[in-house]
Amino acid sequence: MSKTASPIETTEAGIVTEALRTPAQRMLRQAWASSSFRLGFGIFLLLLFGALVFPEISSIDPTKMNIKGRFIPPLFLGDNWSWAHPLGTDHLGRDLLLRCLVGLRYSVLIGIGTVTLMFTVGCALGLVSGFKGKLTDTIIMRITDAQLSIPMIILAITILGISRPTAPAIILVLGLAGWPLYARVARSAALSEKSKEYIRGQRVLGASDLRIIILFVAPAVLPPIAFVAVLDVAAIMIFESILGFIGLGIQPPTPTFGNIIADGRKYLINYWWIATMPGVFLLFTLTSLNLMGSAMENARNKVLRGGA
Amino acid sequence: MYLLSFLTRRLFQGAVVLLIVTFAIFTLLRIVPGDPARLIVGGMAPDEVVVQKAEELGLNDPIPIQFVRYLGDLVRGDLGNSFFRPKSGATVGAAAFDDPTRDDRAEVLTLILETIPLTLQLAGLAVVFALIMSFPLGVAAGLNPGKWQDKLAFFTGSLFVSIPNFWLGIVLAQVFSVNLGILPSLGYKGFEYTILPAVVLAIGISPFIIRTLSVSIAQVMQEEFITVAPLRGLRRSRIVGAHAIRNASIPLLNLFGIQLGALLGVLLVVELIFDYPGLGRLTINAVLQRDFPIIQGVAVFISAIFVFINIAVDLAASYIDPRLEY
Repeated sequence: MSKTASPIETTEAGIVTEALRTPAQRMLRQAWASSSFRLGFGIFLLLLFGALVFPEISSIDPTKMNIKGRFIPPLFLGDNWSWAHPLGTDHLGRDLLLRCLVGLRYSVLIGIGTVTLMFTVGCALGLVSGFKGKLTDTIIMRITDAQLSIPMIILAITILGISRPTAPAIILVLGLAGWPLYARVARSAALSEKSKEYIRGQRVLGASDLRIIILFVAPAVLPPIAFVAVLDVAAIMIFESILGFIGLGIQPPTPTFGNIIADGRKYLINYWWIATMPGVFLLFTLTSLNLMGSAMENARNKVLRGGA
Repeated sequence: MYLLSFLTRRLFQGAVVLLIVTFAIFTLLRIVPGDPARLIVGGMAPDEVVVQKAEELGLNDPIPIQFVRYLGDLVRGDLGNSFFRPKSGATVGAAAFDDPTRDDRAEVLTLILETIPLTLQLAGLAVVFALIMSFPLGVAAGLNPGKWQDKLAFFTGSLFVSIPNFWLGIVLAQVFSVNLGILPSLGYKGFEYTILPAVVLAIGISPFIIRTLSVSIAQVMQEEFITVAPLRGLRRSRIVGAHAIRNASIPLLNLFGIQLGALLGVLLVVELIFDYPGLGRLTINAVLQRDFPIIQGVAVFISAIFVFINIAVDLAASYIDPRLEY
């Protein structure tokens, strides 16, 4: 359990047996075995590659306007299309493919950044709470309960509406709004882990609480939680696009899914692709993340129930 | 008697949580930048007017004193008055500081109570739609783990949870109202205006129901009392209907309590897209206008609902499964 860092042990014949792998490794293998995980992983890598590379090598700027080239339809539509703009252009003649890919960058950045913050704060507090117990536990859990009963979404958008919404500000606000669920999960995992033999052994050896938490409890308990956090990355990405849509996300001219859709909504009747393209991009990204996340959730359930 | 002691204890705990929550919301909205006095009198007002207004509102007092005053108003049912909305209902925005209608601002409690029935109607219809969509899928998946029903539920859930709901709202409004002309999609003039927003909201809710149902039914089906049920001469339909679903509905109830916050987010944006005059639209508009009394009032009000619903969820769970302790 505690040997996450050590190389995998093998039997005499040199074969790695399942029983000798850590639960985290078994979960990953189990997830990888499902076709939905691989499908999601493939789509996500492809999209991420496109988002990271294409805007760099493209000769056009995603914010460059071209009034003569307004409302060019996507490649698969009509006669008026051009290869320069495979997904068409918007009401200011800006290339939609590029704008969507740059929007994807910010979306993924904010999604991963926010979940990392939620995870770090929530799990740190949850582990300490579960491991220490007593007064520490009571205090941390009451704070968690209280925060869970606050409609944090309303306060988050209020704060973003007042301050200038930049990527770090959005990550900070959403991250601090979302940690309590992680605290609960980490706490209950730490509770069940701390009564195990090897932890009590460490206590007898005189290890400090902090040392046990960081070196033993965290590596045993956190990976399964981290796997499922992929689902939250998708949820935060939706939320980021909502923020952009109501004008509280990263500000134009930087393209985000939300502000492209908000712009395109005005021209929906005649030029429907402007609002539709970013939605399709977002849909593909989220589906890929959710396929991966759900497959890992299934794998975790199987491994924890002792099925694999 | 049991019930009574449960209710008193939980209501007391709930009141304490609400007190803390109210203080947190109050403090948070006080320390964010933006001077309420300046917001009320408008950008064109001379500085003396701002100072006078701040004094009048008691904004110069320390935050704890302001909080106690706010609590005093709160227990009398006074959530304050909107900065910008007059009683007539129309939004006027920031008018001139000497506008005579300035003193005639709508009460926050009235605004909330006016909008809450429509929001409840929307949420209720959405939950009904979501249950209709996800119950067959979730139950079928739970009864046939690993088979095509399970895979269908898995992919439907993954797809539904991946649809950005505000985008779906825009697309559905375009297709059903503009292109096909079947359903109205903007504002509210009758019950049919609730249908499209409810469908969008239902698609946002259903993945969680599908997932929880299929997992918990699959688990329940492994339990001993289910495997021996045929020996007791029970028909399969009764085993599934009366025993499996009943036991599997408890995780569903708990999920409902936990996911309330996420539901609220979807509700806000769906109401905004469809211009549905409920609590969500009121809130978003208040945020965009920086109408602090409304934001604060709504936040406190919703917290109270959250606390109340979680008590109700526990109560319902122990009613379904008497083994659960209060």
